[in-house]
Amino acid sequence: MASVSEMYDVGWEEMRDKLRKWREDNFRNSEQIVDVGEELISEHGSKLGDDIWIIYEQVMIAALDCSRDDLALTCLQELRKQFPDSHRVKRLSGMRLEALERYDEANKHYDAILQEDPTNTAARKRKISILKAQGKSTEAIRELNEYLEQFVGDQEAWHELSELYINEHDYGKAAFCLEELMMTNPHNHLYCEQYAEVKYTQGGLENLELSRKYFAQALRLNNRNMRALFGLYMSASHIAASPKVSAKVKKDNMKYASWAASQINRAYKSLKRFVKHLCVTNAINYIHFSNRI
Amino acid sequence: MPIQLTSQAYCKMLLHAAKYPHCAVNGLLVAEKTKDKKKDSHSEPVLCVDCVPLFHGTLALAPMLEVALTLIDTWCKENNYVIAGYYQANERTKDSRLNQVAEKVAARISENFSESAIVMVDSSRLTMSCFEPIVLIYDHHENKWKSREVTVDSFEDWSEAQKITSALLENRCYENLIDFDNHLDDLRNDWTNPVINKSVLDLC
Repeated sequence: MASVSEMYDVGWEEMRDKLRKWREDNFRNSEQIVDVGEELISEHGSKLGDDIWIIYEQVMIAALDCSRDDLALTCLQELRKQFPDSHRVKRLSGMRLEALERYDEANKHYDAILQEDPTNTAARKRKISILKAQGKSTEAIRELNEYLEQFVGDQEAWHELSELYINEHDYGKAAFCLEELMMTNPHNHLYCEQYAEVKYTQGGLENLELSRKYFAQALRLNNRNMRALFGLYMSASHIAASPKVSAKVKKDNMKYASWAASQINRAYKSLKRFVKHLCVTNAINYIHFSNRI
Repeated sequence: MPIQLTSQAYCKMLLHAAKYPHCAVNGLLVAEKTKDKKKDSHSEPVLCVDCVPLFHGTLALAPMLEVALTLIDTWCKENNYVIAGYYQANERTKDSRLNQVAEKVAARISENFSESAIVMVDSSRLTMSCFEPIVLIYDHHENKWKSREVTVDSFEDWSEAQKITSALLENRCYENLIDFDNHLDDLRNDWTNPVINKSVLDLC
């Protein structure tokens, strides 16, 4: 099988930089990370300097994702040799046990870390992940709520909690989590847009109006967010179609909806390859008369 | 009444699940629109010729789902298709139960197509060789979704479906599969997946 460097004609520095980019952007493209990382470590390990340790960690986690226990164990053993008492490495051992579905052993591992360091957030979050993996959503939600009472600033945790609530169809609580995230990240268009989606799903006129406002806000923060644009169209259309609104509200929302529709059509038309079946004009008219889910 | 899957529909469902192994995924199944609606056509299986992968990750939010249903419905009308079913693979491999999201979407599809079906993908049995079908098919009977036995007859040509799916999984073609989420991220991404469709055709 051809090596990554042969197939893509890249040198080891580019491979190392790619891995760093994936690390920084928190991508979960595990198969690619394994391909690139495994080759980088085995062929160019000596050139990486101290970078090699964080690469071992990244490749180990990706290897767990791909059921490559052989590779994961190799990386783990190197890390254990280099950092014998590290809690960070102990957490990786725990993750390996999780991947092998040895949850009781993994939990013991994390409990041992927490005995020595009760503030270790990583171990606590892994324990919650185990609950999630076992399908124990209620317990996971409860533990995560308790965690957030102590670690109020942990955005990853708030986001995870919002997803857990959405999966349980508890949209009100999911919205609360997203409100926390929006407060601390007022310029993040993704949180705005997700909040709008949750409000829309909750339903009811008041939530629809809120959802329209937040779709609009997301669009203001990033005018290329297609979900926000579609969302603005959908929410405005539904408000305009509601029998409970005044004539003025109806008129305003029809204006917003038709603006959004024209922007959507513009976005599709601006694609150099304008594909006929992506014609949105007819679809937009059709949405007007569709029922809500 | 019962649905049948073509190789193209089956393999794209599995490729979608394989592309996002850590997420729940879902999508729509489409069938060719038949002209006659005679009573005796009820015994003819509905052939799902294709599927449109929709989302990965959080499936339980309404707005983008409504957008997708509408756009795909329009596309169906232009190509003489009809949305005939819904597929879903849950986030946890050990969980292949039909849940509220599946029921809600299927109920919506049933408004336009009375014999719609739900296909749940059992990811715990997903292998490269695809030696057995890993789908559970549910029909709507008396207000409940009941699973039917999945046999070779649930496929237009099981050995072809097996061969093609296995080949595409081995070649990691799932990396190029486009779902509606990918399309919303970048409109140039084509959720009809012409590239994968061509690969399927080449292997037939």
